[in-house]
Formats: sequence, structure tokens, C-alpha cells
Amino acid sequence: MSGRIGVYICSCGTNISDNLNIDGLAEFSAGLDNVSYVKVHKLLCSEEGKNFLSDDVLKESPDRIVIASCSPREHEKTFRNTLQKIRFNPYLFQMVNIREQVAWPTPDKSEAAEKAKAYLRAAVKRVAFQEPLEKKEIDCNTDVLIIGAGPAGMEAALLLAKAGRKVYLVEKNSFIGGRVARYEDVFPKMECATCMLEPMMDEVMHHENIELLTCSDVQDVIGFLGNFVVKIRKRAAYVSKDKCLGCGACYEPCPVTVKNELDYNLSNRKAIYIPYTGALPNVPVIDEAHCLRFSSKDLDICREAFELGLITKEEYEMFRKKDCTACKEACPFEAINYDEREEILERKAGGIIVATGFELFDPSAVPKLGYGKIPEVYTSLEFERILSQTGPTGGNLLMKNSKGPESVAIIHCVGSRDKKYYDYCSGICCLYALKFAHMVGKKLPSANVYEIYADWCVPGKDNQAFLDSVKQGENIQFIRTPLPVDVELNQDADRIKLSCIDVSTGKRELIVDMVILCPAMVPAKNSRMISEILSISNSKEGFFAEGHTKLAPVSTNIEGIFIAGCAQGPKDIQNTIAQGAASAGQILSALVPGRRLELEVTTAEIDKDACSGCMICISLCPYKAITLDRENKVAVINEVLCKGCGTCVAACPSGAATSKHFTEQQIFAEIEEVLK
Amino acid sequence: MCSGRIDPQFILKAFQSGADGVLILGCHPGDCHYKEGNYKALRRFYLLRKLISQFGIEEERLKLDWVSASEADKFVRTINDMVETVKALGPLKRIPAHTSTEKGTGDLQEIKIG
Ligand code: FES
Repeated sequence: MSGRIGVYICSCGTNISDNLNIDGLAEFSAGLDNVSYVKVHKLLCSEEGKNFLSDDVLKESPDRIVIASCSPREHEKTFRNTLQKIRFNPYLFQMVNIREQVAWPTPDKSEAAEKAKAYLRAAVKRVAFQEPLEKKEIDCNTDVLIIGAGPAGMEAALLLAKAGRKVYLVEKNSFIGGRVARYEDVFPKMECATCMLEPMMDEVMHHENIELLTCSDVQDVIGFLGNFVVKIRKRAAYVSKDKCLGCGACYEPCPVTVKNELDYNLSNRKAIYIPYTGALPNVPVIDEAHCLRFSSKDLDICREAFELGLITKEEYEMFRKKDCTACKEACPFEAINYDEREEILERKAGGIIVATGFELFDPSAVPKLGYGKIPEVYTSLEFERILSQTGPTGGNLLMKNSKGPESVAIIHCVGSRDKKYYDYCSGICCLYALKFAHMVGKKLPSANVYEIYADWCVPGKDNQAFLDSVKQGENIQFIRTPLPVDVELNQDADRIKLSCIDVSTGKRELIVDMVILCPAMVPAKNSRMISEILSISNSKEGFFAEGHTKLAPVSTNIEGIFIAGCAQGPKDIQNTIAQGAASAGQILSALVPGRRLELEVTTAEIDKDACSGCMICISLCPYKAITLDRENKVAVINEVLCKGCGTCVAACPSGAATSKHFTEQQIFAEIEEVLK
Repeated sequence: MCSGRIDPQFILKAFQSGADGVLILGCHPGDCHYKEGNYKALRRFYLLRKLISQFGIEEERLKLDWVSASEADKFVRTINDMVETVKALGPLKRIPAHTSTEKGTGDLQEIKIG
């Protein structure tokens, strides 16, 4: 308890004194218990005012201070800093808001005077119970873990690596570049996607500060900003990165042929493979699930291959013995090692960036569209492969019967902007649908293209011009329909009958050869699992939730963990890169080598003797900051993780938890005095 | 500090100390600076409202609402509405225990708080 409280009253020019009798308030304050002096100033937040405050505090040496002035939101920090500089503990100071809460909203002078007195009484009573609190700091690790090596993850990795940070770049696939690396051209300037990304991928693979971990996933993360410990599972690939030159000699002899899921099942691959020509790193992997050595069910596949005449009887017999070494024998560099095993790696990092990308809504959920049943109905990602020179048709626009389509329909908004599926707009579909129309026109100039759309969403400085230029195309027709997902597709001999509502002409039927669906962009399948591992929240659609829609778009609810790219929500490549860069910037500013991390001062505390170990607080803590000390059966608060929200304090049935600077005693004192 | 720090005892303390009404204002659901404190406040509020009515305090004297820093109009409206409500109810009667006749009318003076 204190006995010498100094009270300072600021008239804020005339902002406060116009409506409040400052001298009267000073006189009243001087009469309060424990107040040893009262000083009045015209503008305490000015340079002159701050100097006055410092000098006066040094002269009077009070043990507690009350300042009655504006809102603490305005100047609490200012005064705390001023006091800190003269080594007066800033937590022994309390601020009273007599401007926004009294002088401004209370026109009646005598009411204002009474209100101001009540607030001063409360602050004087409260401050007496305040305790000095010390700032704490901890060392931090400045290395960074990035999950996902698509455009966002690569951009962040490069920026951080160039700034001298060690980066662990974890990628679940055997290759980097995400989905974009599998596109042909990108809108609006129709640039070649691979040419655009290749220099970036090359740098990522060769930068000395980047440890690229492909075929890997994050299994567990513990810790907090500046001090994360991460467990990474690296699956066995059976091909040594150091020895393999990517010559491809191993694919040919492999007797297993399966659908290539990384080519959206449009082509076949072997059990040792690279997913597409040009994939980087250009090192194949062995697919355990199908390789004869590692899986037995694939004897069936081998038998099928034999029955189809793809392999000879002798070969079949040999492979049946499951000691197939075809790829190893073919490898000129002894790069294949069947004894490689999965590894669990541990890495330490100070910050984490999650850039795990997106997936497409599965259109087979809308039976009318016939996806998965009608062979020539594709999703946009599948069509990207058909357009790609590294894709199943070598970049020729061909149907499954190897003929070029005479007419192609592109259906927008499949599952997006629709309450039944996803109510948001993915924001990029209109633009890639235009890109598709443009590319069809380029590859097959005589083909007709129908864009079946509901509305145009083409924001940005280049995109309207792009729409206008595509509209010039001769063979392109735009059909506006209220709800594209209501379009009906039916096989009609070897063509497709498309029925829809055209808003200008009513019911409309078309016969087309190929249909491309533009499905909603949805969260990647593993995003729930990643949220659980990292304790980061999801938005209602399942993307990772940003700290603040406008002000903190790449932050999460966990300090030190950032999100970038489509993992945060649907967006184009440009915005993905921007977020990758933003998250790198956040980390560079949050984790500075040599700088220690300041911890929250007003955290919660648990009185061991009063705690009954009921664990109510543990389940309530939104920061996972409380754990049970099993031996002593009491709750323990991790001061580094606690943000001081106080919810455990409000809930503790034994009164064992207290909030520093917001104790029950302090708050009760305020309530009693305000209401006196 | 957050609406999640509001210990039900604070409210009872306020009624005991002479408040005729108590208004709890928190950030909008989903906007809590500390993630989910306002949800906790809401849960406690429902329970507490039941409790105060058992003490003979009208439920309307305790109100919870969400107001963000940018909602000046809503803030003013909420406060004025609350003032109206409390004015209509009149001052809270604090009946000493020995004069209490009606069953179920609690004695505020005897509730030990803190
Ligand atoms: S900070 Fe939690 S409700 Fe406002």
C-alpha cells in the first residue's frame, strides 16, 4: 500500500477546462486519502509537459502517480514511457479519462464535476494497490519454417534467405512450384508460367540458406514466437538427390503403369517417376504404393500389364517374385537405394509461414454437370494440363479420342457464389476462363467457345482490358445465365448437350464437344490437420483465418505463425506473391538477430497454495498457456505464452489465479469508489 | 483486458455498492482481441442473470452487448437505452435481511463478496 500519491491534472488546452472546473477537481483530489500533492498542467503530453512531469516526479518522489487527462488510448503509452525514462515503474501509475468520458460527453457542469470526482476517487484508491511490474525478455531463434513450396512459400523463402535467414522449406510433393508450375500461360499478359517460375525455383533449390525438404510433412510443432520446435517426417524417395542427374533411364524399364494423379489422372506414369516433364527438382521418386518391391497388391497391376501385352511372360514372372530391380539396374549413376527409410527430422525456428495452397471444389457433387461420367467434362486444373506442353497431349488441344474439339463451353462459378456450396467468389475464375477462351482460339482458331457466366469479376488495372480484348474474338460467345451450377450436361452420342437459361433469350441448348468447369477454390485437404498441429484458427470456409481482415491479412491468432497465398483464401498469383513477401516482412520485423523478445507484462499468475488442480482454467485458456503440474497437482502458467486476457482469473473457483495489474482488489477498489 | 476477465463477482460488487444497473460491453463475436473472451463473458452472463433474479434483482438491470471501437452511434444508443431501462425500473431496492418478508428476496448486504 502506498502513502504518497502524486496527482497530475491536465486541462488539455481548454478541451477539458472548458467544461470542468479544474481547480475544484484539484482541491477535491488533494483531500483524498494518501494523496500528498496535486499539480495542474495545461498540456501534459507536450514536450514541455513531459519534461515538467519528469522533473516534478523526481523532485517530489511520490510512490504512486495518477494522471487525469485524456483517454488512455491516446496517451497512456506516452506517460508510461516518460516515467520509465526516469526509472519510475510505469505500473505504479493510473490514468483517469476526464476528457472523452467527462468533459466532452457531459454538458452539465455540475454533473461533469461529480463524475470527474468519482473517477479520481476510484483511481486514487486503485493505484494504491498497484504493484511494480518488470518487463521480461527472452532470446529468440531467427530461423524460419515454411510449409508449402508454391509461389507464396518460395517468395517468402527467397526473401528471408537473401536477408541471411536460415529457411526450412517443407514440401509434401517431390517437386516445387505448386500448381502454377503445371500451368501453360497465365493471365492477363499470357506469360509462360514455367518460364516465369523457373528462375525462382532454381534459386530456391540452390540457395545456401534454404534447406529444401521435399516429400515431407510437418508432424508436430511445439513452442511460441522465437522458439518453435518442429518435427518433420521425410518420406523415403529411394533416389539420391546428389547422385541423380534426372536422365530418366529408370522409367522405361519399370514394369508398373498407373494413372498419374499429379497430372490429374490424364496420363500414365511408372512406379518410379517424375510427375511431369520439367518438374523441379528433376529427381524421380519411387511410389511405394505401386512399386513391386514395396507393395504386394500391385501384382494385380503387373498381371494386367501382362494380359494387355505390355510386358512379356518372363518379365511378369520375374516381377512376380517381387525382387524387381529394373530401375536400379537401369540407373547409370547408382542413384537408387532401396534401403532408404523414412526419417523424422527436428528443426528449430522462430517463425512459421503456412503456404499450403488450395484445392478445387469437386464438381461431381453436382450430378447435373456430369463430371466424372461424361469423359469430355474437365475441371479447370485438368484443362490447364491439356493446354500445357508438358501435359498429357503435349500442349495440343485434343479430346480423349485424339481429335480437336469443334466447340468448347466454359462454365463459370461452379460451386461458388452459391449458398448451397460455397457462398464466396473465388475471384480468379472469370480471368482464367477468359484465358482459356483465348488459348482455345489460339490453338484451334475455328473452334467455337461459349463462356457461360453469371457476372463478371475482373478487378485490377490490367484485367478489364484483357476481358475487352478477349471479347473481340470472333468465335467466342458469352451466355449469361442466372446460376451456372444449374446448367445441365448430357452425353449426346459422342458430343455433349448443354441446356441452360440464357437471361436474354430464355431456355437455350447447345451441342459442344468439350466442357470446362470453373469450380470454387476450396481449402487444401490437409488444412484442418495443419490447424490442429499449429493451433491456428480457420475461417468458416476452412481456409486459415487471418489476424484481421484489413490490418493483419497474413497474421494468425498465434504470434509468430503467418499465412500466405491461397491457404488464407482464394487469390491470384500476384496477390499470392504479395502475401508471401508480406509474411517474410512480418518475420523480418518480428525476429531480429540479437534482439530479445519482450514478453507481455500483465500476465496471469497462479497461487500454488490456493490451486486445487481442478483444471477449469486449462480448458479455458485460448493460448494453451496453462498446463497441469502432475506431481503437485496444480496449474502452471507459461509466462511466455500468456497474453493476459484474464479469462482464467474470472473462472477460477478457488481464487488462485490473479491478473497482474488487474487484480480483484484493484478492480473492487475502483467499483466501490465510482459508486460511492 | 477483455470482457472475458469480467468475474461475476464484479457485477455483484457493483450492485452491492449501489449500482442500479450494470452494462457489460465487449467486442463483437469473433473480434475479441484475446480470441474468445467475449464468448466466455456471454456464458457467464446467462448464468449470472439467472442468479441475480434469485436475489430479487430484475434481470433487465444486467445487460450484455457488443460494441466495437468504431461504433460510436451504437455505443451511445446502448447506453441511453440502458439508462432508460434503469430509470423505468427505479432505484434498486436493497432490503436488509431482518425486514425481508417475501420468500426468495435475497439480502444483498449479507452476500459476502470478495
Ligand atoms: S478483447 Fe475480449 S471482448 Fe474485447
